[in-house]
Amino acid sequence: MGDLQQELKDLLAFVFFLGLVPAGLRHVWLLCCVSPFLLGTAVCSQKPQLGDAQLATNNPTLTTVSLEKPFCMFDSSLYPNRSYTIYLYVMKESASAMSSLVTDDSNKPLGSTFQQTSRGQLRPYNAAFFDVPDCAVPPRLADVRSFVHASYVLKQYLFRVGDDGTCLYDPNFLGVCNPPLAPDTTYRFKYVLVDNSEGMVKDQTLWSDPIKTRRAKLPMKIDTCVLVFLLLTGFLASVQSFSDTK
Amino acid sequence: MAKTENGVRIFQGLLILGNVVIGMCGIALTAECIYFVSDPHGLYPLLEATENDDIYAAAWIGIFVGFALLALSILGIVGVIKSNRTLLLVYIILMLITFAFEMASCITAATHRDFLTPNLFLKQMLEKYQKPEAGNNNDKWMSEGVTKTWDKLMLQNQCCGVNGPSDWQEYTSAFRTTYSDADFPWPHNCCVLDSQGHPINLDGCKLGVHGFFKSNGCYAAISGPMNRQAWGVAWFGFAILCWTVSSSSCSPAS
Repeated sequence: MGDLQQELKDLLAFVFFLGLVPAGLRHVWLLCCVSPFLLGTAVCSQKPQLGDAQLATNNPTLTTVSLEKPFCMFDSSLYPNRSYTIYLYVMKESASAMSSLVTDDSNKPLGSTFQQTSRGQLRPYNAAFFDVPDCAVPPRLADVRSFVHASYVLKQYLFRVGDDGTCLYDPNFLGVCNPPLAPDTTYRFKYVLVDNSEGMVKDQTLWSDPIKTRRAKLPMKIDTCVLVFLLLTGFLASVQSFSDTK
Repeated sequence: MAKTENGVRIFQGLLILGNVVIGMCGIALTAECIYFVSDPHGLYPLLEATENDDIYAAAWIGIFVGFALLALSILGIVGVIKSNRTLLLVYIILMLITFAFEMASCITAATHRDFLTPNLFLKQMLEKYQKPEAGNNNDKWMSEGVTKTWDKLMLQNQCCGVNGPSDWQEYTSAFRTTYSDADFPWPHNCCVLDSQGHPINLDGCKLGVHGFFKSNGCYAAISGPMNRQAWGVAWFGFAILCWTVSSSSCSPAS
């Protein structure tokens, strides 16, 4: 189907469930393709999103980006009694559109790692894989207030890209690596649904909007000059020398 | 005859009273300056690292000026009672010298208040906090002082950074060269800690979830005591000086 048709369906879907879903759940369920207009499509029109800014205020940081896990994004593609895994791919925005494929010819997910793709410069790399989040029971974000449940809720709700730097320093490490991202760089992310038994890609989200990591300024650039102090330095020096002679 | 004698006696009484007030002010000034020099908030290492601790010099001068005022007030009382011209002349000269010292101290304290801006402490914190082995001993001493002071500040005042924890994300720092952003977006003491000194939730602290990290800046906790010190030394000193001037100008007339 054409882009324009897709856009129209997105808009209608958005308007449709915006009215139905109560405000409290909206920020989790906004990812869901609940609209009947979109049932049966191969590509869900939602994309990976940054974690709720009210909850995770330090996001993105210099070298990490915390994304919401794909709740209910792939529900239309899941069959009962089959196990699935979600793969997360990371790519620098500067990589060309030609190389943004995450599957090979036989529709199997590419296993490219951080090192192989030159830190996401050449092609997307696989940063992590995890189980499909349970759509029926999304994490209650209000539970984060409780110190006991906070870790569980955060782990269920968010995935932190760039969390683990140790795999870079281990020369024997050959697996999937999620090392820190580069500061002041724009990245894009994608979730891919893979069937465990066949090893084939069943569904994938669109590439996320470009997300830029923070930039750090040099402390030398901080201006500590104070006009009043400069004006009175001369006067003070003379007074001090008078005191010192005593 | 009796009237003028009475008048003189009243005048002498007033002068003695004036000197008693100066003496008591001298004691108060000494006490106030000793309190500041004792550094109850433990902020002296921060001033030392700015390499401009003149506020402390002003406080030290205040201590000695206080003693001098006490001694001079006694001299003044003796001089008024004995009506000895020489004593009063010595009194005036020494009072002028003390006046000059106290003036220097007050001006130093008052102007240095403007020197202590948030940016000054921000730059110092970023460059010196947790600085790995520095070059010379003096550098190392200052870095250690700054690190210890900031750790204590963040712990006691439940604050982080000068303007807030975002200081650590907006600027590069000596801290950042040792600790990666993924593991420590900000220092360990910026997390809300339990009684054993462990963060109550490390993931929450790293992500900036409210309740697990300290979102206030520490500038208020630094500038508050320092400003009070500067104002205390400066304005109390000026008040004493005014009183001294007014009472000294009356004494030659006796």
